[in-house]
Amino acid sequence: MKRKIELYGRLRDAGLGSSVSVELPKAATARQTLSVLKSAFGAKAPLLAGCVLASDDEVLSSSDALPPGRLALLPPVCGG
Amino acid sequence: MTASRLDPAALCRAVSSPKHGAVASFVGTVRAVHAGRRVKAVSYDCFTPLAEKELARIAAAAEKRWPVRVAVAHRTGRLAVGAASVAIAAGSGHRAEAFAACRFVIEEIKRRVPVWKKEHYLKGDGRWLAGCALHRTRP
Repeated sequence: MKRKIELYGRLRDAGLGSSVSVELPKAATARQTLSVLKSAFGAKAPLLAGCVLASDDEVLSSSDALPPGRLALLPPVCGG
Repeated sequence: MTASRLDPAALCRAVSSPKHGAVASFVGTVRAVHAGRRVKAVSYDCFTPLAEKELARIAAAAEKRWPVRVAVAHRTGRLAVGAASVAIAAGSGHRAEAFAACRFVIEEIKRRVPVWKKEHYLKGDGRWLAGCALHRTRP
């Protein structure tokens, strides 16, 4: 199934726009999704260092299945 | 999270009470120089739905840990040097817990709220600043 992953922070400079759509197996985990994203990013894959996936409610651990709803790929944060 | 100018005084009023003997506040601002480079502006990006939930969770955690009332607001968008990027207010019976709560909230913001900043310099390309990798926080 196709899922849209929103991109933030430095990932916006990857030349992929503000989101990327990837084809994932049903009940894909965050770990599987990051692996697919690595391929989608190609030469820009080093930008994925330290990134995590999150829903609009929480950060996902690598073994979590993707929940329905919005999904975002989040680089290390630096608010304040 | 807001694209509008922050109003720290309004946050202080929001946490004030006749029962309180202290209101402490913290305001983070855009600095003109960072790592030896002259900064003209900073752009703040955020994943809004999660950022707003994390801010609320941090405020609730502070209110659980100390007898305080906390209000917090964070900017999005492009800010000029000197503009307020984050404002925190804590009202309490005494100063110690008000100061402690403000410190706790800003440190937690830097550690777990999905916000990113890109510095724009007087000379050369802008740069996204390095930060803290996120981790799942639920038990």
